[in-house]
Amino acid sequence: MNTDNEDDIGIVFRKTLGRYSVHADGRDIDCVVSSLLHKQLIYPTADPTSLRRTVQEVRELDHVDPVAIGDRVRYLEAGDGSGMITDVLPRRSKLSRPAPVPGQRVFEQVIVSNVDLIVPVFAAANPTPKWGLLDRYLVSAEAADLPSLIVINKIDLTWKNPSLEEELEVYRRIGYPVLSVSAVTGEGIEELKHFLGGKLSVLVGKSGVGKTSVLNAIQPGLGLRVEAVSQGELGKGRHSTTHLEMFKLDLDGSALVDTPGVREFGLWNVTGEELAYLFPEMADYVGQCKFGLSCHHDREPGCAIRRAVMADEISPYRYKSYLHLREEL
Amino acid sequence: MYRISSFGDFTCTRCHALVSSAHQLSGVNNRNHCPYCLWSCHLDLYAAGDRLSACKGEMKPIGLTMKKGRNKYRLESRGELMLIHECMECSAISINRIAADDDVETVMAVFQGSLTVHHQIKIMCNPYGILPLNTGEMEMVRAQLYGQSLDISSALW
Repeated sequence: MNTDNEDDIGIVFRKTLGRYSVHADGRDIDCVVSSLLHKQLIYPTADPTSLRRTVQEVRELDHVDPVAIGDRVRYLEAGDGSGMITDVLPRRSKLSRPAPVPGQRVFEQVIVSNVDLIVPVFAAANPTPKWGLLDRYLVSAEAADLPSLIVINKIDLTWKNPSLEEELEVYRRIGYPVLSVSAVTGEGIEELKHFLGGKLSVLVGKSGVGKTSVLNAIQPGLGLRVEAVSQGELGKGRHSTTHLEMFKLDLDGSALVDTPGVREFGLWNVTGEELAYLFPEMADYVGQCKFGLSCHHDREPGCAIRRAVMADEISPYRYKSYLHLREEL
Repeated sequence: MYRISSFGDFTCTRCHALVSSAHQLSGVNNRNHCPYCLWSCHLDLYAAGDRLSACKGEMKPIGLTMKKGRNKYRLESRGELMLIHECMECSAISINRIAADDDVETVMAVFQGSLTVHHQIKIMCNPYGILPLNTGEMEMVRAQLYGQSLDISSALW
């Protein structure tokens, strides 16, 4: 295995059921993952150059999949268009969540790596926006030190949601960019392209908000499968997109990752103590409470954050989101 | 007043009673005060049950009022008897439904206590459009809390 050959490095752009598509030198290679990446072998450190090294321990991994979309990987090519991923190069950034795996242990699920921009997509109506879910995405992006762009799709249905602008103003006040688009009428799509230019971005959101429709509107040639949300009171999405895939856009080297819709999005690697720092409008107040950094910002007397909420400097909805997330951690 | 910030059971921090939030006991969707001491906690901001207030101060029961309801089958035409609470932190006033298991003697004691300072309570409630009940409504309050008096002989014949 020649791991030093730069030619054997590619980018993972699609994964479905244990198969990974790696793009390298203008070609796509269908790869599996080396079993060595599924375990962490511990060797004796006394003499690392020894040829007769024996494994001392096999450590459990804390992630469900060693390879994520956006990863730069080394691979071995079989010569027939298939190959095997042998190594994952260090990640510049990543967006993770706890994997929904039953059992005692919680595993990390890296949704996308080496990403530059998180794009939470919500619909003006059908389905109704869940701002608590948006707060989760924003906190995850802050934890990963990544910028966010809030996209509101189906803006042609705003008449169904009269309070939308008022609710979005909460996020504008904090400083998050909010963009209203319509994949149907094309409104706002050019502006969205401007935001995405030169970056690797990821579209996240619940099922039925129109992530794939937005992608189709940005790059009409893709022709990705989309479906209408279910009829009736629920207006839920139909899970049209079932796998993660990165699409290269015709915009000066930018790419966009489309993800399946999710109903839940847990926080990974975020502690209760640091949560307030991940709400940008609260960060300035942390440490100013009567109990200093020990304050949970819930019922403690002299809490600076609660005072700021009552002074209308922090949205009560965002504060409620904070308390809700804090209960989970 | 709550120790646990949730819609679940809680321990009253005023009288330390364990309070169940079960709808079957209280008859209301959002339990917002202790049924024993009637003290509450400032948790709601815009609407009952929204839990958006950051104040979380203790709320003292200061009197009773009537709220016009939409229940056309209600015998009492003036509306529903409600508790008036005042926040000890931010002085906000709110009205809350009397739950089915609220201690009626304590409710009556709150009402009687409010009669002595009725003028002050009226001034406090005025900006909120709340009209506290006065001495003249004593019989109506009794009827709502203890039920209508019934002459058994006239009912039989």
